[in-house]
Amino acid sequence: MQILVVDDDLFAGEMTTAVLEDQCYQVFQAENAIEGMEVLNQQPGIALIVSDLNMPLISGIEFYRELKEQGSTLPFILLTGDEPEKALAKEPGLDACVMKDFNMPERLPAAIHVVMSALPSRE
Amino acid sequence: MNINQQPLQKKIAQLRASFISQLPARMDTIKSQVSMLVDDGCNNLTMLSDLHRAFHSLNGTGKSFGLFELSVIAAQAEALMMQLLDTPDELQREQWVTKLDVLMQALSIQVQAYAHAENEHQFAVEEVLEPEHTSVVVLKDSVPLIYICDDEPEQVDYLAHQLHCFGYEIQHFTETAAFRQAVLARRPDAVIMDVFFPQSRTAGTDELSHIKDATGQHLPAIVLSGSNSFESRLSAVRAGCSAYFTKPARPMDLAAALDELIEDGHQEPYQILIVDDEPEVAEYHSLILQNAGMVVHQIHNPTLIFEALKNFSPDLMLVDMYMPVCSGSELAALVRQVPAYVGLPIVFLSNETDVDKQFSAMQAGVEGFITKPVIPHQLVASVKLRAERMRTLRGLMAKDSLTGLYNHTTTTEMLVSALANAVRQQESLAVVMIDLDKFKNINDTYGHMAGDKVIVALARMLKHRLRNSDVIGRYGGEEFALVLRNITADAAEALVNELREDFSKIVFDSGQEQFHCNFSAGISMYPGHDHAEDLRMAADEALYQAKNQGRNQVVMSRPDYE
Repeated sequence: MQILVVDDDLFAGEMTTAVLEDQCYQVFQAENAIEGMEVLNQQPGIALIVSDLNMPLISGIEFYRELKEQGSTLPFILLTGDEPEKALAKEPGLDACVMKDFNMPERLPAAIHVVMSALPSRE
Repeated sequence: MNINQQPLQKKIAQLRASFISQLPARMDTIKSQVSMLVDDGCNNLTMLSDLHRAFHSLNGTGKSFGLFELSVIAAQAEALMMQLLDTPDELQREQWVTKLDVLMQALSIQVQAYAHAENEHQFAVEEVLEPEHTSVVVLKDSVPLIYICDDEPEQVDYLAHQLHCFGYEIQHFTETAAFRQAVLARRPDAVIMDVFFPQSRTAGTDELSHIKDATGQHLPAIVLSGSNSFESRLSAVRAGCSAYFTKPARPMDLAAALDELIEDGHQEPYQILIVDDEPEVAEYHSLILQNAGMVVHQIHNPTLIFEALKNFSPDLMLVDMYMPVCSGSELAALVRQVPAYVGLPIVFLSNETDVDKQFSAMQAGVEGFITKPVIPHQLVASVKLRAERMRTLRGLMAKDSLTGLYNHTTTTEMLVSALANAVRQQESLAVVMIDLDKFKNINDTYGHMAGDKVIVALARMLKHRLRNSDVIGRYGGEEFALVLRNITADAAEALVNELREDFSKIVFDSGQEQFHCNFSAGISMYPGHDHAEDLRMAADEALYQAKNQGRNQVVMSRPDYE
């Protein structure tokens, strides 16, 4: 499965990528929402988006809302440095919100698993 | 499909290392932004939100990489920026400027501390990056790098080869110019320098002085010289060399001097636990101690004491005497009731000048008093002194006096905890029992002094060649035990065989005669043997088999049911 990772912090992005590649996902990285949009257009195979919340210009939540407005149905997982509840309260449409901490390497794959198995089958 | 060659943990370790290496540059950017913000007043909204994000990212990414100290400070800075953005009028300019300044200082100290700790593991990272290029079994994470500068290659070749067997990485230079370039390119852990070179009678030591002047850093060095003249010795002292050997020097003696030099520089920072119910006070003392290079952990609630002791394992505890839940004396008594913490130095901070009250606290087992308000250098000095003594005592209790390896009891304890850890982490574990072959003959033939040298040589070699996470113990007279974590049976066997071969190449010198010595070893593995006692016994049986089959060999234990 192909995943888009959006994070303005290079190291955080690499870290997320390492965790996902370890799960044998194919990862595309983008440094901001605009670059993320471009990658999504070029790579129609992407099936999930993992984005950081706190980014300059366009935040993770704004990115999510923009995608929905454009009619995207891709599942969207938000990464945040704070409590996930806050972000979920702000944008309940998010498929999942995972805290960026030491447990992220376990929590993110678990969240992806839950999100993907909750999707209606497209067959 | 993206096939992954490196385990996730290694990748994260690499990312963490590069994150740390770019922290100083990141801090520089933040510093210049902060100074612009301060010059500009609080009106610069762009700068504020840039800084907010910079701290936020330090906080978040720091947390992901387990750099908790960094992320805690960054989180405070992030909150301060947020406050300035949301309610700029509530904060006095002076207040936030001071607060920001303190936080920036704390961040800088922390960044330096990480960089320092990371430097020590630099070679580990290099090993991780290119495992396929190393021909030997990759199991060392910090091989000391030694430069030898001497214009007589024949003598040095023998020395280099022997030192290599002890587990040093040796590079040899015959000219001082090439040596200088190498030092500038990659700093060695220590240098062995000749004094006399064709161009000048003291060219070698002069070169060390030049490097010291040019880089401002003292290069740990010992002198190996053909001359015993006063002039030559004086030049060595002036260049800051710590030992002087005349040729021919014995490799064993040089190795001992090198180890002393290297260990001096690799002193781990002292770990101090501060217990104070007032966070600001704790923070202040913490900053003073951090400035002196110590690692500090604070708790503001005495009930968390045992958790903190367990997770942080401090060298010393600094306790406020008056706290709401329980007093400092009560806390000390509480801690002293746990056998593991009987020896932990506890120092009180109090406004108490009454000698009687101080005395009653002493009875609860307190090492010393510092009266508030503290004088920074006094606090640092008294904490350092006691922490140092604690380290020494701890070492004496757990370690064998001849070799500095763990003694029988400590090794057994560490095997039990390493095994528990391996079970938890689902990793493998190897136990190796090593016994020197015909050691009694060596003692009888060459004397006990020579026998001791053999034991020290093996200990030295094991220390250099194994990872910091491996346990090396002296189990009995000529018997050694190793606990190797996360290693396959094949790798363990290959490693021990390599050690065995290299050890048999070391030339010992009894004064009259030269001789060699070798060892036999038995290995047992978890999984296969699932209890500490089984592992030890299986390794012992394998060792016995190795001895029976003619010695100087390694035998791997195979569980019966296989």
